[in-house]
Amino acid sequence: MASNEVLIIGGGIAGMQAALDLGDMGIKVHLVEKNPSIGGKMAQLDKTFPTNDCTI
Amino acid sequence: MTEFSGLVGDFRAKVHRRARYVDQSKCTACGACAEKCPTRVPNEFNFGLDERKAIYKDYAQGIPSVYTIDPNHCRVFQGKKCGVCAKVCQAKAIDYEQKDYDVDLNVAAVIVATGYELFDATQIPEYGYGKLPNVISSLEMERLLSAGGPTSGHLKRPSTIRGEARLKELPKLIAKAEKDENQDGLAQLKQEQEWLEDHVHRFHLAKKLGFIQCVGSRDFRFHKYCSSYCCMHSIKEAIIAREHEPETESYIFYMDLRTVGKGFEEYKVRGAEVSGLRYIRGRVAEITQDKDLNPVVRYEDTERRTVQSLTLDMVILANACSAPRNIPQVARLLGVALDENNFVKTHPNRPLDTSVPGIFTCGCAQGPLDIPESVAQASSAAARAAEVVMTGGRALAV
Repeated sequence: MASNEVLIIGGGIAGMQAALDLGDMGIKVHLVEKNPSIGGKMAQLDKTFPTNDCTI
Repeated sequence: MTEFSGLVGDFRAKVHRRARYVDQSKCTACGACAEKCPTRVPNEFNFGLDERKAIYKDYAQGIPSVYTIDPNHCRVFQGKKCGVCAKVCQAKAIDYEQKDYDVDLNVAAVIVATGYELFDATQIPEYGYGKLPNVISSLEMERLLSAGGPTSGHLKRPSTIRGEARLKELPKLIAKAEKDENQDGLAQLKQEQEWLEDHVHRFHLAKKLGFIQCVGSRDFRFHKYCSSYCCMHSIKEAIIAREHEPETESYIFYMDLRTVGKGFEEYKVRGAEVSGLRYIRGRVAEITQDKDLNPVVRYEDTERRTVQSLTLDMVILANACSAPRNIPQVARLLGVALDENNFVKTHPNRPLDTSVPGIFTCGCAQGPLDIPESVAQASSAAARAAEVVMTGGRALAV
């Protein structure tokens, strides 16, 4: 039986965004992350260019 | 992930799920456990600039909002008597017996979003990273600037942060030396205390900053490619530093400033006009330090055609974006090809497709990208994966 779920390896900004988009389409996603929290490198950033918005 | 097999539309994966030793359904993330935990460990999230406990969260807003025990440091897992966290936890969420387990998944498509690793600047000994305390990486700078970081956003020099921590320790060591009547040791400790007190007092905040571009990128010894986001990243850090402390002076040492992107060039110009950043075209040859631990940068100013040196409070390296060290194992497991830089190999006409149909990639896993581009790629990869789910993989067969 073919599956209708998706596996995403890595819970940084790219993995999270892809997971959210798939989730919004009604597709079940498994997001795999090696650290205790998702967010990846982006969670360590303070503000982002070019608008100096806060990342979290 | 430990096992992977199958074809587009019907992949099988085994994922090893590590125990948190905290029941995720019960933990309310109140933080009482971490407050009482007796074990202090250097905090990797802040690059060791402060400490965390053996039961911790990476950062306050971390998701899932659950604490995790680090078994490598927790006293219970080291066979010592403790159990303080279990005692103070009102939700009864602590579970030292929790075990790792495997999850079997059956998925139609896979997205590889494994990201990047910061280039290890100790490979360039002339920049002194790891030896000179006030030469730091671009991500360490982010943590120093962050209101939620180790210094609550005050731009303290690492030599000051470590000096303050050492000053707290010293009275105990001095008392012990006095008790043991160790005269040589005592004199040495007192001398260290005196020097540190003076140092911490005189060099509280970093106000004169140097940013060095292309550290490991566009360098034939390391990565030949351009890491793309570092020019903007350094400019941003310099602008934010100036917002925190209006006296801050920043010098950016560059080869070319590559500010390609929507609104990016304007941001660079604003950096110079409003925030007073100085852009100096030239490669830095060497960083040394003076007796006050101030980094001294020796560089060639290619616009004035002179060799100069400049003493700064702190130097921030724009580390290259490297492929993660363990990516070859992941790629082997999935069967996807990597390119010569160990990024996931893609085709110019299908930039998110890997060499295996049904496995896609996005973000820095496939090459250096900034956040807006990573987000755009992620949405595209999600659309490609959805295509597979909705057609059972037939869309890719055409």
